[in-house]
Amino acid sequence: MSIQTLDSHSEELLQQYRNLLPVYTQMAEVIPQRLKGFFEEAGLIVAALEHRVKTEGSLAGKLRLKGSKYQSIYDITDLVGIRVITFYIDDVDKVASVLERLFEIDWDNSIDKRKAHEIDSFGYLSLHYICRVPESAYFDPEHPELNKIRFEVQMRTLLQHAWANMNHDTGYKSGVEIPKVYVRHMSRIAGMLELCDDEFSRIRRELAEYRRRVQKLVASGNLSDVALDGDSFRSYLAIKPFERLTRRIASINQAEVQEVDMSAFLPLFQAMRFTTLGDIDKLIKDYSDAAYQIACFQIGLTDLDILSSSVAPQNLCTAFILKNGGGRIGLKLMLDQLNGESEGNGYMADFLVEQCKDLPFMNQ
Amino acid sequence: MEIIITKENSVVTAALVGRLDTPASLEVAGQFESLKAEASGTIVLDCASLEYISSSGLRLFLSLRKAAGEKGGKVIVKDISTSIRSVFMMTGFLNLFEIQ
Repeated sequence: MSIQTLDSHSEELLQQYRNLLPVYTQMAEVIPQRLKGFFEEAGLIVAALEHRVKTEGSLAGKLRLKGSKYQSIYDITDLVGIRVITFYIDDVDKVASVLERLFEIDWDNSIDKRKAHEIDSFGYLSLHYICRVPESAYFDPEHPELNKIRFEVQMRTLLQHAWANMNHDTGYKSGVEIPKVYVRHMSRIAGMLELCDDEFSRIRRELAEYRRRVQKLVASGNLSDVALDGDSFRSYLAIKPFERLTRRIASINQAEVQEVDMSAFLPLFQAMRFTTLGDIDKLIKDYSDAAYQIACFQIGLTDLDILSSSVAPQNLCTAFILKNGGGRIGLKLMLDQLNGESEGNGYMADFLVEQCKDLPFMNQ
Repeated sequence: MEIIITKENSVVTAALVGRLDTPASLEVAGQFESLKAEASGTIVLDCASLEYISSSGLRLFLSLRKAAGEKGGKVIVKDISTSIRSVFMMTGFLNLFEIQ
């Protein structure tokens, strides 16, 4: 059908649309940018922020079907559309609360399609808000109409978005009725994705809870109860467990200490069969004197007055390996783990064995 | 102390010749500063002819590493002798650089 078939009222609405098109375009670009900033402030990571202005052709189609329903162009609420796609289902409500803070929400026309389903049906899930920019938030005297224009924000998860797109492709709005068996298949997938969304959120919640628990255990000193993994090691490093030894080593030459990332030590500790943070704590308690002796021997007679903070755990591991019979091979493996595999690490392992063999800790 | 800087494609190589002790470090600090301008790419510090490194030399290496870290580049330390490698190990600098 062509635009020419519209009645005069719809033609008038279409003309109003053309007049306001620059404002719609500006809104569709500026609002998502502002939203992005507010999401970042709220610590929300979204998968995507999309926007579009309804095309003249699409609007003409809509007016052809129900043009008489609208008094003015301001009654049409989806000319500017924004879509916020989140990773987690919990975040849909967080996005909604950000919108509620920023915009006036037209509750009569907003829809929570997540609640629209019967208890035994699965399908399109999304939260749609119809919003307006309040004058208190933004007002341009040259464009007062901006505060009259309502726009739609759709909020959904990445999985809901995938399903909606696939469903759209397989028949929704295509005008052709598809066999019921395919409708049922799409419903099955919708049910499965709903479960996946819930599971992703559950995993995230439990992981956050685990991290809180680990931080509490680390803070309380119950380190033997904390399994050694990436999360717990990070929490442990936050209490600077090697700092005392580092300061002691630095005092040998009044050295400046360069703080460095210690995460490379996690695979080394795991290779040393450490299973809890308590094992690292015991390493520090039992081997600090030995690590200090190594440092004294190595740098005490030099003028080296700059050290990396990794010297303390490196010397602790050196002492532990030598005292537990790891010898040259153990030290080479340690250096390969920390510095990447190389022939040079073999020479350094020999060097360490030679340096440490007469130190007091080796004979205790 | 001499530094010979060459550039091939996007890789800048600085060949260090001699002893990088405190006076030499002051002498070549300007050249390290100019190397920082290239820190968004790869900088190779060729140490095949480097005989000695002091704390001041280590600081120069470290400042270059920091600049590369900030600009998304990297510093490769190439052909270090066993004695200089041991200095890097004793000070904990060994795992701060890619050593080739």
